[in-house]
Amino acid sequence: MSRPRLSRRSFVTLAGAGSAAAVFGIPAYIPRIGEAADSIKIGLLEPYTGVYAGPAENETHGFEMAVDAWNKRGGVMGRKLELVKEDEQNDTSIAAQKARKLINQDKVAALVGTVSSGVSLSVAGVAATTGTLFIDSGGHTDDVTGKNCHWNVFRTCHSTWMETHATGYALQKRFGKKWFLITPDYAYGHSLEAGFKDVLAHIGGSIVGNESTPLGTTDFSSYLTKIDAAKPDVVLVLVQGDDYTNCLKQMNQFGLLKKYPVGGPQVELEPLYGLPPEARGGYWGIEWYYKSEKTLGKNNKLAHDFVADTIKRYGKPPTARNAFGYVTLDRLAQAMHDAKSIEPVKVARAIEGTHFTSIFAGSAYYRKEDHQLMWPMWVAKIRPNGTPGDKYDLFDVTDINAAEAVEQTISQKESVCKLGYPG
Amino acid sequence: MIEHLGPQLFNGIVLGAFYAIVALGLSLIMNLTGTINMAHGSFMTLAGYLAYTMVLRNVPFGWALILAPLFAVVVGVIVERTLVRPLYKREPFYSLLMTFGLSLIAEEVFRLIWGPNGVPFSPPASLSGAANIGFMHFPTFRIFIVVVLVIAIAALALFLTRTRFGLRLRAAVQDNEMIAALGTNTQLLYAVNFSLGIFLAGIAGVLAAGLLGLAPTSGNALLMPAFVTVIIGGMGSLFGSIVGGLLVGIAISMTTLFIPAASEVSMYVLMAIVLLVRPRGLFGEEGIFG
Repeated sequence: MSRPRLSRRSFVTLAGAGSAAAVFGIPAYIPRIGEAADSIKIGLLEPYTGVYAGPAENETHGFEMAVDAWNKRGGVMGRKLELVKEDEQNDTSIAAQKARKLINQDKVAALVGTVSSGVSLSVAGVAATTGTLFIDSGGHTDDVTGKNCHWNVFRTCHSTWMETHATGYALQKRFGKKWFLITPDYAYGHSLEAGFKDVLAHIGGSIVGNESTPLGTTDFSSYLTKIDAAKPDVVLVLVQGDDYTNCLKQMNQFGLLKKYPVGGPQVELEPLYGLPPEARGGYWGIEWYYKSEKTLGKNNKLAHDFVADTIKRYGKPPTARNAFGYVTLDRLAQAMHDAKSIEPVKVARAIEGTHFTSIFAGSAYYRKEDHQLMWPMWVAKIRPNGTPGDKYDLFDVTDINAAEAVEQTISQKESVCKLGYPG
Repeated sequence: MIEHLGPQLFNGIVLGAFYAIVALGLSLIMNLTGTINMAHGSFMTLAGYLAYTMVLRNVPFGWALILAPLFAVVVGVIVERTLVRPLYKREPFYSLLMTFGLSLIAEEVFRLIWGPNGVPFSPPASLSGAANIGFMHFPTFRIFIVVVLVIAIAALALFLTRTRFGLRLRAAVQDNEMIAALGTNTQLLYAVNFSLGIFLAGIAGVLAAGLLGLAPTSGNALLMPAFVTVIIGGMGSLFGSIVGGLLVGIAISMTTLFIPAASEVSMYVLMAIVLLVRPRGLFGEEGIFG
């Protein structure tokens, strides 16, 4: 028997094309849920495949809970809400393409979602050119509500400025001012770095090492070997997702977690659950937590119901991602209800500046000047093994920071952000 | 900077040994059947998850390191018989597309079974410290990895050069029609060969799960460097895969030291240079692949 010969050239071409496709992903089709002629469609863009699939799923759960809550109450203006989901694959160009598809083909009234900052900016760009409302639920880079801000773009999760300023002072207070940074080399990381530099300028501290790591780095050992020479007071880990897991796991293997305090602007429960207990530790910024009076507020029935319902429905406690999804959609629906319209300008006007209470402590508002959600940012110490009876209970919430204390002031924002409402 | 050279070289070798063993598996399968196995990474992830599940059920890590790859081999044999074998007579891109599709399905299946987030998997306590290797302290688990990989590679070399079956395998790579004509069951050769490749991937997968994280996408992240390794080492040469792996590992760790931003690109630059200077790869045997 004979078989076709594989030439070197075709191998290079085939393997190259194949691996590129594996890395960048091929379109996946997520079926739509339900079709109703008179429903209000909301386009949900999330990276359901790839490294951020975990956070994407949790945000989606939050969105679903809010949609169901509104629909149970009869919908908005008597019309049911309907989510049209698309997989943006954590890819800026695919996200833009899917956003256009949702707008042109599905005729969605608004776009919500995203996890990675680059993707958020990409969708915000499409939203800006098409005049469609977009609420970024989970991409943190300052630019979304900074230099790329737009009248129809809002953001629910915290900005990188809020994260760095909430945690920077807390880390300095506990450990000192000589910092070693492990930074992801993309929009989100650069924006965090800028935030921390601002904190350092205020406290007179210094960066004794700053390693810029490409997204998707598997081996961090090369960066970690430099820590000993730099002798920092604290190591700040800025990478997220799988990179976070890899980095912390390797820090533990090199014995660094025993030698240096560790912390960072933000840690999410999703990657943390993927770490063995011995690699969990330190002080981190957190954006919401399901089990603390500091995050949920005293006797907040809405928050407690949200936690209980999520556990009942999805079998695990909600993370900050669930909260982003819920708050985003709940506010969007509320604004449509208040404006009695789905017309973007009217809805945007109804969202901004309105104070509200929700599933977290205190009240909050999407700031009129830049459309950033102004809600508290917390700092927590990690409990590596959870608490007796609850292995998910990893955060001991220590600090609560008011949004106004950690976000740039309106006057600081004025020079970078022009919302540019039509007319 | 200079004081980091030693440790970095070591890190590069650990990383390189990984790429080498994944590339070896790829080469084995490709050399004999011309199949570019895009699902190789999925078998790594599968073995990782299986080992994780076993350790959760109190199977010792050492056993999991052997058993999980064996289970992956069982799945591999089923895949080879039912999906890959019918495509051997076709152009290579049929099996490439098939295995690529398989890797996408596998990723979703992992997500369904073990969830979209990573799972915590760590080496046993006896391997989690750091050992003094003279000029520095180095994580025990990394040393363990190098030892296991060296043993695996040596065993493979012995199998291929010292056993009758191994000799037949190599002969079939040279001329499978002649081997068939001489009365060797080539279908069995293909199956055993595929299994060997998957077994190597499985070992790498379990070790990678202990060293790095374990998530549905883990294996595929290591696949691209492995392909680059095959190209640099030269197609058709198993020895080339080993050298190529070490070169890629060291290239990545050295660029990380001096130009961190270029660390992920360095292997492609290395590949481009090798292809320009020696298009068949360092140890590629031009004759074998026609």
